[in-house]
Amino acid sequence: MTVSLLPVWAVLAPVIGLCALLLLEGRLRPEWVAAPFIAIGLYLSISIAYEVISHEASLVYALGGWLPPLGLTLRADGVGAVLLALTALVMVGVSICAWAPADGAGGRGRSGFWALLLALWSALNLAFIAQDLFNFFVALEMLSFSAVALVALDGSRDALTAALRYLLFALAGSVLYLLGVGMIYGRYAVLDLAGLREIAQADPVTLAALALMTVGLMAKAALFPLHLWLPPAHASAPAPASAVLSALVVKAPFLIILRLWVDLLPLSAATAPPQILAGLGSVAILLFSILALRQQRLKLMIAYSTLAQIGYLFLMFPLMPGPAPWLDIGWTGGILQLVSHGIAKAAMFLAAGLIYEALGHDRVSELAGLARRQPMTLVAFAIAGLSLMGLPPSGGFIAKLLLLTAAVEAGAWWIAIVVLAGGILAAFYVFRALGSALAEGTPAVAPVALYRQGAVLALALCALALGFVPLRPFALLAIGRPLEAMEALP
Amino acid sequence: MTRLLIAASFALPLALAAAALWPAMRGRLLALLPVAPLPALAAAILAPGGSLVLTPDPLRLTLALDTPGAMLLGASALLWCAAGAYAASYLATSPRRTAFAVWWLLTMAGSLGLCLVADMTSFYLFFTVASLAAYGLVAHEATPTAQRASLVYMALALLGEAFLLLAFVMMAIGVPGGGNPSIAQAVAGVATSPFRDTILALLVLGFGLKMGLVPLHVWMPLAHPVAPMPASAVLSGIVVKAGVIGLIRFLPFGAPLGGWGEALIILGLFTAFYAVAIGLTQPHPKVVLAYSTVSQMGVVAAIAGAGLVSDSNATPVLVAFYALHHMLVKGALFLGVGVIAAAGGPSARPVFVVMAALALALAGLPFTSGALAKYAVKDLFGNGIAALAATLSATGSTLLMLHFLRRLSRLSASDIEVRPPAGLLLPFLATAAASFLVACLLLPSTGTPYAAVFAPEALWKASWPMLLGAALALALRRSALRMPSIPEGDLIVLAARLVPAIRRLADAADRMDETLRSWPVAGALLLLLLLGLGAAMQLSAGFHPVGG
Repeated sequence: MTVSLLPVWAVLAPVIGLCALLLLEGRLRPEWVAAPFIAIGLYLSISIAYEVISHEASLVYALGGWLPPLGLTLRADGVGAVLLALTALVMVGVSICAWAPADGAGGRGRSGFWALLLALWSALNLAFIAQDLFNFFVALEMLSFSAVALVALDGSRDALTAALRYLLFALAGSVLYLLGVGMIYGRYAVLDLAGLREIAQADPVTLAALALMTVGLMAKAALFPLHLWLPPAHASAPAPASAVLSALVVKAPFLIILRLWVDLLPLSAATAPPQILAGLGSVAILLFSILALRQQRLKLMIAYSTLAQIGYLFLMFPLMPGPAPWLDIGWTGGILQLVSHGIAKAAMFLAAGLIYEALGHDRVSELAGLARRQPMTLVAFAIAGLSLMGLPPSGGFIAKLLLLTAAVEAGAWWIAIVVLAGGILAAFYVFRALGSALAEGTPAVAPVALYRQGAVLALALCALALGFVPLRPFALLAIGRPLEAMEALP
Repeated sequence: MTRLLIAASFALPLALAAAALWPAMRGRLLALLPVAPLPALAAAILAPGGSLVLTPDPLRLTLALDTPGAMLLGASALLWCAAGAYAASYLATSPRRTAFAVWWLLTMAGSLGLCLVADMTSFYLFFTVASLAAYGLVAHEATPTAQRASLVYMALALLGEAFLLLAFVMMAIGVPGGGNPSIAQAVAGVATSPFRDTILALLVLGFGLKMGLVPLHVWMPLAHPVAPMPASAVLSGIVVKAGVIGLIRFLPFGAPLGGWGEALIILGLFTAFYAVAIGLTQPHPKVVLAYSTVSQMGVVAAIAGAGLVSDSNATPVLVAFYALHHMLVKGALFLGVGVIAAAGGPSARPVFVVMAALALALAGLPFTSGALAKYAVKDLFGNGIAALAATLSATGSTLLMLHFLRRLSRLSASDIEVRPPAGLLLPFLATAAASFLVACLLLPSTGTPYAAVFAPEALWKASWPMLLGAALALALRRSALRMPSIPEGDLIVLAARLVPAIRRLADAADRMDETLRSWPVAGALLLLLLLGLGAAMQLSAGFHPVGG
């Protein structure tokens, strides 16, 4: 591992930006204040990824020089670095798409949007590079509160109701998680994952704590059947916010579950718990894909599609049978699914937002004529859809291929069938929207700036470019594994 | 240079499709359709056999041109070219012509690329592009019939791709090194793979769906006739050949496969006769042609099966040769239906004569491409019952084609002054001529000498099944047997009965979600999940109560 301050800055930079926004509110347009911090965030994420890849080692910083078990460590491992880069990419795309310098003075809502976006970014970075149970909790709380506020930003009655639901359910999840953390701390007096890894035993207390934390996190990740808050929340938030919520925010609790199950207490893939998680994921894929097909509004369709795609992530638990799960093909497939869905879903939600702006509505059956009036947005939507369907050449295809391979190798035929069926259903809901947009029609279309359409198309093309990664377990995603406890600063 | 040509085979159609993003290009796209396949045509003619193109690492695309690939590439490029010229005239005033051109170009890129790729993922890529883009061609008319047909097409195409993807994954697992193996490497491992039978079953299902083997043919009589005329020609002529290329590339010829060859022969010949029987009940010439395609693809599957049984190295070339003959003849026939419909009285007569020759070529009429193709493949079947059935399939084809010609004769324009526009007539005649010339030129590459095909004995062998067919057709007409009325897509009627059940299922899903999203239920589920997962974890770790 390499000691570096970069992870700390990755968490702090957006917070400084947030403070700047609050100080300068009313004096400068919020876009202009946020822009440099977004650029800095992008730079930090890229340099962390570069450092991790070039040294093939985690970047570590122990805050205040305190070492575990007392201190708090930030540790950007391979997966963390990849997710930081994903977050930065989506954030930049969302920022360009939400950038509206021309219209009137930035009201409180606009300023709030940029402030919350930066808060979310900090929380996400922390969630992806934290390696101890307490930091996870801090990140999750920051995440939930800023996400709830983003949902409510619109101020409409529906948005407030959706935000309240989200808040209550997220709180329930936090309580369960915190309960589990308390039990772990009571049992071992250690919160650092690397430290816990060495001493944790599969005794009743530890297992109960793990179950509590997992279920709490599942509620925050909206895994079936704990999804009640997601469709209204993601559909009523402003489109750029929905993009961040769907692409990134639900991924953070998932990643923490993954770290708990792989780093804290590796359970054999053959036992029932991983199968239960995959089973819930399978139901999510099938049920929510069908429901996505029946939605009348584009944003609700995409929200249900997110629920289905989260299901794919949970399929990876029984597909990592090896003693070093991070070297298995299922690990790579799952993380790639996370990344490619993140990019594709962000592009899709942003495209839906532009469609809404252009047409004044997002009813799936009334998109006729869009192909002629906004071809760029529609191509972006189609490419993002390609990745969701898992068709080549796209990141979604490679992820599906790796998950399928892992399923066949593990003899888990039901998982293979669910993956394939989910792809077919996804094709139906994407084609339903595309077919409607390709029909003849001459709708009244409000102009949408070309650079915003271009940003969405660029994001979608990134999802496509992910299709060119090699078809084998990536060494990158195994960097920093297995966790080593830090006895002293190296 | 040849590498550039090979890559341009599918890159040019793709680039033209992407050009539709620029408003200035949109108006010209339809007129450019005949140009797009020219690099592929040049590659098929100029590139030497065995050319290999490897793209740099991240692209992961391997292209190779062998004899069967070159045959199908060249013939498809010819048909794409002629049908493109035909479309430029046929759809010149259609309001949706730009969208049509884009779907057309994408389908073209997929189908041409398919003849060239040599690695698994790229094969899947081009296969997907070809079959999904063809959806746009089927759906083009936007009528309720077209919508239904395109929905059925889409559903089955996706199903077929799911079968293939699973098969490909299972094949790739057996290959040392994993990743993205070449097709040849993966196929070499099939015979010894622990999943052998599953792989072969999935391959036959996936490619059979594309070729329309019974009972997976139901989409074809729906989809091919509803498309605009030039699109029907390429769908029936070229797009179904994606399945044939699949069989050529993926069946492990020359390895012992216990029964799979025989199974494929039986499936193919059953399809051949079944489609004739249903086709005879159909009133519309385009639907009859679609059933004829089903029947002919059955013959192709049987040829591939016979190749598996007889262990002949020539099988891929022979299958490709037969497919090439069918591609050009069927393409010309569909184009011709449009010409006849636009021709009145005397001007329809010469066109009808050409159509009759083409139609009977499908049954193996001497001195046509059909006779060459049938002669070239006959040795594969040996002398047993399969050989007799394959010969009798020509009788079936004769019956079906005579039925087609009768139906066609009622189609010509009512105004006897109307003459077919040159934009339709010339591409049709060019395709018809090409079907004979190309087959003649390529005959030696199948190892069949010209002298043998035109020997009196061979002529008689080709003629008697047809004479039998003609006699049967006459008898059928005399007997005044009333044909039952069978809807297009025959077995699809059975599937249609499932629609209300599926709808009820989806409604149930809606209600279930409604229930799950209510607070009391969600809360209860949260607790239940907690208890369930907790219990499962305790049990899986072998937890025993203290003192237990």
